Amino acid sequence: MSGARIVQNFRGQRGVLCGAPHMAVETLQASLERLGMTLARPTEINPGELDASRDVLLIDGDLPLDAVLDRRAGSLLSLAPAIGLVGVEAPSRLKALMDVGVTAFLRKPVHAAAVYAALFLAVNGYNRTRALELELAEHAQRRRGRRAVVKAVVHLMQTTGLDDDQAYALLRRDSMRRRVSIEDHAAELIAAAGQTPQDPIHPDLKHWA
Amino acid sequence: MAATTVPIGVLFSVDGPYGDVSRSMLNGALLAVAEWNERTGSPLRLDPVIANPAGDLRLYAAMGRDMIAQGLQHVVGCYTSSSRKEIIPLFEKADALLWYPTHYEGFECSANVIYTGAVANQHLLPLADYMIEHYGRNAFCVGSNYIWAWENNRILRERLAASHGRVTAERYFAVGETDFAQVIEAILKARPAFVFNTLIGISSYCFLRDFRAACQGANIDQPRVIPVASCTLSEPELRAIGPEAADGHITAGVYFASIQSADNARFVAAYQARYPDGPVACADAESAYIAMRLLTLSLVETQGRTDVDAVKRAVARVRMQAPQGPVQVDPETLHAALTPRIGRSRHDMGFDILAEAPGPVRPDPYLIWNSPRFWTVGAPPVLRVAS
Repeated sequence: MSGARIVQNFRGQRGVLCGAPHMAVETLQASLERLGMTLARPTEINPGELDASRDVLLIDGDLPLDAVLDRRAGSLLSLAPAIGLVGVEAPSRLKALMDVGVTAFLRKPVHAAAVYAALFLAVNGYNRTRALELELAEHAQRRRGRRAVVKAVVHLMQTTGLDDDQAYALLRRDSMRRRVSIEDHAAELIAAAGQTPQDPIHPDLKHWA
Repeated sequence: MAATTVPIGVLFSVDGPYGDVSRSMLNGALLAVAEWNERTGSPLRLDPVIANPAGDLRLYAAMGRDMIAQGLQHVVGCYTSSSRKEIIPLFEKADALLWYPTHYEGFECSANVIYTGAVANQHLLPLADYMIEHYGRNAFCVGSNYIWAWENNRILRERLAASHGRVTAERYFAVGETDFAQVIEAILKARPAFVFNTLIGISSYCFLRDFRAACQGANIDQPRVIPVASCTLSEPELRAIGPEAADGHITAGVYFASIQSADNARFVAAYQARYPDGPVACADAESAYIAMRLLTLSLVETQGRTDVDAVKRAVARVRMQAPQGPVQVDPETLHAALTPRIGRSRHDMGFDILAEAPGPVRPDPYLIWNSPRFWTVGAPPVLRVAS
């Protein structure tokens, strides 16, 4: 399972409101301040200024969302943990919020007693999903490299007379000595031997690269 | 200010499973009313409207609804968190104010509740620090199986882990359980530095008696070798435990009847004179007294206006000299700043005060100033619900 640590204390973090300028925020702001947070209301979101370990986006689902935010490249998540502020509870709006990557909902008007739980889920759901995505990407990367490992094992068996276990053990030892992954080491070995390093990346997997 | 009589709801379960504690709270609240109404010269009079839900959650809702329907805007009441949670929606909907007068586990800040009891940074954290310093860093947790025990054990576990200690075991029992033979055997085997007790009511008294007896049987000086610490033990409860096991228990609290001050001497004397049949003066009585008194002083400050906004603004300005010392309400969280103390129970059913904060400590209901950013992952305790 993912090794994301559970955040329980949000002191020093910042809520970033993506909502209409006239939106009433007294309850939300007071609730965040009680949790040691601040609330920012930028006129537009500058993705470069978002910090996933500090910021929590509060996204109003009643506004057009397509222009509001980019998702993290190749991820189901937004650039920082995000809470969807739900006014109209219609499937189209709920899906739109999920599509920009929110991991928790908060009903409008915001009720003070719901804020900590929404924040807890938004931040920890985000961190957990992010950790799983990274883990998945690493697995995909290794899976792509298996072809090179097989080729390198065969190559070593043919050139040195080792059996497959010995060839694999040699590859593993050398890769550890060089401090590279066994897949990268195998790819370099067979490239040096003049063979194709690995299969081209399947288009569906390109975003993991 | 023209003469005004303000009806105040008083909602305590003087019957049912926590009737004794509620009786103390009712007494404390009514003492504050009587003292005020007996004064001459104030145009403000308080008219308590008393209801007894007898520990039944449905009755809390029904009686709370009745009070609000009668036009009451202020109710002093509730002991358990479940009863408070049950009626908060009514108060939020009607924009009325619940004055909640007891310690609880925190993590709540309703705009329609004034919290005059202690939260974890005012009871459990000072207790944990005291136990770590004086007894050691390994605790065996025994509790009633509900939120109070779960959350307090979590916070204790975090504090112990920060000191490189640990909770060696957590055992939970159904509310009302009285058979503790197995867990007592486990404690004697584990030999923790101390036992942290979050059992409530009869369960707690049985456990303390049986544990003391088992230790005597094993030639162990229990209060010295394996003390039991808690955040709730009060003077009336020592009487319920009985003379054979009342002494030597460590308790964190913001009030003990043995506090040496003129204000407390006056409070204890007035309380005993009014309620000679008991329960004796204790933290629960004092916190309800504080709640009613703060409400009264706020109504004086608003010159009799009872609307919630005005009273909330007023309560932030009120300073009260309570039996425990100065008390004021933090306007941001609507929780009270209180003075933490550590007491040790005596044979004569009172407490020696072992340690005391130099002054009131600001409430931190979400522990934003008193807990680490990340959840503490320690060695897993032996988790088991025994019944």
